[in-house]
Amino acid sequence: MLNLPHPARVRAGAGGVPLQVDGRAIELVRESWLVEDRWWTAQPLRRRYWEVVTTSGRNLVVFHDLGAGCEQAGGWFAQRS
Amino acid sequence: MVVCVHFPRFELLLAAGGARALVGRALAIAPPSGSEQRLGEVSGAAEAYGVRRGMALGEALARCPDLALVPADPVGVEESWESLLRSLEAIGAAVESARAGLAYFETGPLCSLHGSDAAVIAAGQRAAGPLQGAAVAADRRASAHARTGAGPTRFCSLAAALAVRSRRPLVLDGSDALRWLSGRPIELLGYRAETEQLLEPLTRLGVRTLGELARLGRSALADRFGAAGVFAHRLACGEDTSLRPRLAQELMEETMSVGDASSGPAIERVLGVLVDRLLARSDRRGRTLRAVTLSARLLAGGGWRERVVFRQPLADRDRISLALSLRLLLLPAPAASLGLSVERFGPPAGEQRALLDEGHAARVARLREAVVQVRTVAGEGAAMRAVCVDPDSRVPERRVVLTPLPG
Repeated sequence: MLNLPHPARVRAGAGGVPLQVDGRAIELVRESWLVEDRWWTAQPLRRRYWEVVTTSGRNLVVFHDLGAGCEQAGGWFAQRS
Repeated sequence: MVVCVHFPRFELLLAAGGARALVGRALAIAPPSGSEQRLGEVSGAAEAYGVRRGMALGEALARCPDLALVPADPVGVEESWESLLRSLEAIGAAVESARAGLAYFETGPLCSLHGSDAAVIAAGQRAAGPLQGAAVAADRRASAHARTGAGPTRFCSLAAALAVRSRRPLVLDGSDALRWLSGRPIELLGYRAETEQLLEPLTRLGVRTLGELARLGRSALADRFGAAGVFAHRLACGEDTSLRPRLAQELMEETMSVGDASSGPAIERVLGVLVDRLLARSDRRGRTLRAVTLSARLLAGGGWRERVVFRQPLADRDRISLALSLRLLLLPAPAASLGLSVERFGPPAGEQRALLDEGHAARVARLREAVVQVRTVAGEGAAMRAVCVDPDSRVPERRVVLTPLPG
């Protein structure tokens, strides 16, 4: 598969809004969406995506894994949208 | 001496999730969708109500209103049975597989390896072990074990395996075997395709045991039932044809989780990726594909399997995909994963040059040669292309996958 998510260092503020990604400050949040998928299987997927722009002008997509019971649960990951 | 390894209700055990699931429960394998509504294997509790394999669903529910249906899992059955056959082959046995759950092998060629018939049978039992499979409970105490019988012929060994009620094998030898066989019920004939149709008329005629059948005489049976009658008499007299062990074959399979692309055009793209990966395998060694098996694990549970024999051996991606995509339409429900395995190889593909547009053909040939060279240097993971299998997926990593370039 292509475009697999990789772990990212994210500092989040109130409401889980990312303030800093891998040491780069966030200028603005372009969009946020929630993905809830495969809830009918043993490996449900629940992610809160954030599309952000850093202060250097770079577009980034990060997500917070909200799934319960999986290894990635609670972690932040970066991914191309 | 022929050894018979038999797992009673093999398909139902795997579909229901192990031997414990069958205890005291009236279970049956549900009829496959899109075909005649007849049951698959049934549990002992269901048989007590008069429910039988092959019975119409309506009749079965009328006889046993509490009958629970479990979806068939042909993929799990095939995987589990193949694994068991390979275990038997690993002790040196040349195995004949009659159907899933029933196999035979001869002890003679293995005696020099293991020491004696008894040692070969013990090795066979160890190899068969408890039933294993993805759907079977891991509790070994509750797991199903093979029933093992041995006798001078395939039919004798089957009769012995069906008679045993424990893990201890029943070994029949010499004249004892014939005497013992004569007391066995004629239902044993139902296990052979050649004599299956005789069961019902013989029962109506009042023939109950193989001994009674043998006493009718070969000519009388030939007169009434033809070749099938002669063969049934031979079986009842302790004769049988020699074993036809399966040919050792390599296993080449590609599977892929389909994610959101569980049906429609998206799953056809997944199929294309599987074909690409199968054709790019170096162990294919340029051979064409003669027959393949398309399989799927379904989201709702159970599985689906379809054998596809090509009209002629193929190594062309587009033609293979076209033939398989038609079978994919038979998929009964959304799939969780799709698999493609080679059942038979054809001869190596020759170079087929185009009559017209020779320049294009030459460029394609050069490109393929370049891909082969890149793979030789950089490994099988080199020279890939990206394919959008599910461009509308909400999960980004499921949208595009890498698939090998044809080489």
